[in-house]
Amino acid sequence: MEYGLRLTDPTVIPPDPRAAFPAAWRTLLPAGRAVALYFGTEFCEDRLPEAAEAGALCTAARAHGLEPTLATPLVSPDGLRRIDRLLAALVARDQRPAVVFNDWGVLGLLRERYAHLPRRAGRLVNRSLRDPRGYRDAPDGGATHDASRYARVRALLRDMGVAALETDADLEGGYLGDGGDAQRPLRRALHLPYTYAASGRGCPLKAALYPDGGGFAKAFADPCPAPCRGKPLAARRPDTALPHWRAGNTLFYELPRGAAGTWLDRADRIVVHEAPAP
Amino acid sequence: MKILAPLRHSDEVDALAAAGAGEFYCGIAPPGWEQAFGSAAVHRRSARSAGVPDLADLRRIVARAGGRPVFAALNAPSYPAGAIARLVEFGRALVADEGIAALIVAELELVLALREAGLASRVHVSSLATCRNPGAAAFFRDLGVARVILPRHVTLAEIEATAIPGLEWEVFALNDGCTFEEGTCSTTHAFRPYCLDDRVAEAPNRVDERYAFWRWTLDNCGSQTSRGYTLGPCGLCALPRLAALGVASLKVVGREAPLTRKVASVRLAAVAVAAAARGGTREHVRDAVVAERGAPELCAGAHLCYYPDVWADGLPAPRGARAPAAASAPPCRPAATEAGHGAGGPSARPVALSASALRRGRPC
Repeated sequence: MEYGLRLTDPTVIPPDPRAAFPAAWRTLLPAGRAVALYFGTEFCEDRLPEAAEAGALCTAARAHGLEPTLATPLVSPDGLRRIDRLLAALVARDQRPAVVFNDWGVLGLLRERYAHLPRRAGRLVNRSLRDPRGYRDAPDGGATHDASRYARVRALLRDMGVAALETDADLEGGYLGDGGDAQRPLRRALHLPYTYAASGRGCPLKAALYPDGGGFAKAFADPCPAPCRGKPLAARRPDTALPHWRAGNTLFYELPRGAAGTWLDRADRIVVHEAPAP
Repeated sequence: MKILAPLRHSDEVDALAAAGAGEFYCGIAPPGWEQAFGSAAVHRRSARSAGVPDLADLRRIVARAGGRPVFAALNAPSYPAGAIARLVEFGRALVADEGIAALIVAELELVLALREAGLASRVHVSSLATCRNPGAAAFFRDLGVARVILPRHVTLAEIEATAIPGLEWEVFALNDGCTFEEGTCSTTHAFRPYCLDDRVAEAPNRVDERYAFWRWTLDNCGSQTSRGYTLGPCGLCALPRLAALGVASLKVVGREAPLTRKVASVRLAAVAVAAAARGGTREHVRDAVVAERGAPELCAGAHLCYYPDVWADGLPAPRGARAPAAASAPPCRPAATEAGHGAGGPSARPVALSASALRRGRPC
């Protein structure tokens, strides 16, 4: 197993990637070495890094022998232009990060203008059910892992030059396939231990920056200074005992450890999230 | 622009057509679906409460529609193993034998399977596919689909940039908002809408109160006017701009709603379309809508706007930002609504949950 690291402080690389997990997870996971350093954002375009910050992270990753991996979210037209500018700046600095895309527009951009950058399909490409309440009656999950699911999507992604699939553990399984789709199977990455439940543009933390009557739908396109940087907020729900967090515009929960087991056999990489982050 | 009306039974067609519907959409499950796939959704809503009962009634819908297009939703975000082949066969039959004009599809695997079956040109890409920029639009255009339904959470400026040639465009016009982006909400209403129990953080705070208020507006304020109009999200003042952008279709949401609500919503949309067709401005459309619907205070604060940037010159700015230019006729006058949420300006009372507290990772 290889590991990708999504760290709170990306300059401090743990010697064992499992050290970035909550303690209860460490013995569950196989040994392996870190191969990639993730940064950027999968859920909010306002959290995309500036070119200087991204460049420094690429340099730090290479210094530790890790592949810098830039995560990108669903984006507005402005966000798409921003990613274009960011990638152009990185390429101009001779940086070559892998890019996780969650938006078909970003994939198009990568294919047209940055074909030399490794591209990875992000976890929002998989729209399977992740409802945390689905674990109430089946704490280990009920994923069947039927590899026929999403076979056409995987073929399309391969044809579009995508190198890898990434996903959360969902309630259905099958998205990652069984590795036998073709002569050049897609690599498969599993994000742990925080699964996203729901995300959107009506961010209450952003709304807190506005007076009464502002924010939410009236501020979808306003740039945000990202007050969510820092620790995620613990959130409590009456309908599930799974720990929840609000990280900016996205709600995450900690996957039941038992539900991760059946996914591990189907993954080549675990992306470790030290904390929930949008 | 056509008004796209929701349906769940053939008995609803005549009244909706008379109110101004130019297109219809409905959900229907393939025969034997429940036996094969249990409670897995076919069309994002409960088959019993929102779906057309059977193919016989679908045929009556198409007949009564009198040439108006009828679209069938097969728009669950994902399907169980084995379902795709069944849905392709069903979709083919709907189009070839039952007179369905197009299939509304969210899941990419199903879009690709329908494309393989030669049906791409009869596919409308659901809002759940979250097409939010011109690059994503080009992706779907290259797949050969006919129409893209834009998600709820986009601005008019974003629609303008995204609506590339070569596709039809559909937007949300009335009712039933979503707290989260529908395409990136990985939960199911089968357990109860996940957003209903969402709080900002563990400890109550004033952002929670404002968040609850926003969600209440998205949920149609739980009520209607004395004239029978829903107090839900509304994008009608944006029609002049949407028309200029070439938007083809205005979605009225609510397949499971009572017919009276559907008819009232379509009638209201028709009033707005007529005002826009006469060359009316956003103010003209708003006045026409208010004259029909009543409750002018609902437009105060732009709280119900699907596209509040139509009134961007009157919206509150972030605290500390420069005040926006004065609007010529802003709807966002600082008059309190029934819920006490007046539209504030940059000098309005700050909320209790401060940005610095958020940066520290804990609410006040």
